[in-house]
Amino acid sequence: MRTVTTTVLDSAPLTVRELARAVGAEDQWVLRLVEVEILHVDTPTEPPERWHFRSADLQRALATRRLERDFGANLDTAALILDLQSELRRVRALMAAHGVG
Amino acid sequence: MEFKDYYSALGVARDAGDDDIRKAYRKLARKYHPDVSKEADADAKMREVNEARDVLSDKEKRAAYDQLADHVARGGSPDGGFRQPPPGWDEGFEFRRGPAQGPADHADFSEFFSSIFGNRGGAGQRGGAAPYRERGEDHHAAIEISLEDALHGAERQLSLRAQEIDAQGRPHLVNRTLDVKIPAGVRPGQYIRLAGQGLPGHGGEAAGDLYLEVRIAPHKLYRIEGHDLYLTLPVTPTEAALGAQVTVPTPAGGHVDVTIPKGARGGMKLRIKERGLPGKTPGHLYLLLEIALPPADTDAARAAYEQLAKAAPFNPRLHLGA
Repeated sequence: MRTVTTTVLDSAPLTVRELARAVGAEDQWVLRLVEVEILHVDTPTEPPERWHFRSADLQRALATRRLERDFGANLDTAALILDLQSELRRVRALMAAHGVG
Repeated sequence: MEFKDYYSALGVARDAGDDDIRKAYRKLARKYHPDVSKEADADAKMREVNEARDVLSDKEKRAAYDQLADHVARGGSPDGGFRQPPPGWDEGFEFRRGPAQGPADHADFSEFFSSIFGNRGGAGQRGGAAPYRERGEDHHAAIEISLEDALHGAERQLSLRAQEIDAQGRPHLVNRTLDVKIPAGVRPGQYIRLAGQGLPGHGGEAAGDLYLEVRIAPHKLYRIEGHDLYLTLPVTPTEAALGAQVTVPTPAGGHVDVTIPKGARGGMKLRIKERGLPGKTPGHLYLLLEIALPPADTDAARAAYEQLAKAAPFNPRLHLGA
């Protein structure tokens, strides 16, 4: 058995290339995700080589990939579904915090 | 091992076209989606449906599966038991991951799937003898840890089914165990990256990475929301009405004294600063007050309730107009 060194993404964020690899996509696909605002970068005016992505970005990129694959969703539709999904989870968490539901 | 009927998993006929398979899959994927499904076994159903779609939507895999199904139907045991595909059952077929398939899902699939597609269904399998070089695919899995492990960090053993390359250069699935260090302060939804622990590379190229999504098991006292933790804190009517100092446990261990303000109500939220999940921006611990009534199970207790009703007449239904 091997002990493996681990890194939490949020302390060592991913580059465009690394995020693309992690979801089995091309770099260009990641750039499109930024364009349609599925992913948000802290420094959008910087060139993409300097962009960084964290856990929440990887989660959204994976979810987008599944929506494309499972439902043939285009990126604009995927963006809307992901926003609604986040809202649903936020409301459910709020309800749970107030002992409702 | 049970022979899996992928056609019935999707509810389609053996001669279903690509469009029928796509429609059936989408309908089931909506039904078992974790955000909307009320079914208790939605996760397992979704895995089954994904596996069936993976095979039936790939012409080569589907043809090979049909051939195997015919073979089993002709000579399979009456109870449907299935051990291994017969030698040569897959001759002439080559399985390859399609470009739209996205991140590796095969690790979630059944033993049956692995037994027939396991050493051919993975990434980048190429036909012919031409050598090629390619970095290994990144792989994904989830790890569930306790809140205590998230707070203090831990070392956890993780068993995974993974692809390796044998001495002849052929990929095959193996079970492997990794000892993974969980850093203190990880939160649910965060990803831990294990460099070089993904699928093996080809032609001397590096292996991919393994990404572990952190999940935190439900805790008997605390509920997690983002960086914050919630604890339901029972207080007596006396403590709520008159105010009190009470002692509460903290997630990291130890206790803290908290002031319950006079006139506190059930559902009131008190915040203990920076006692939630640790991190650059530490979360808070929220206490949700719940009024717990003393039981009226003795003469003295009943008398005290009656005395309270006389001393402090109160109609909690006044706003109902009753």
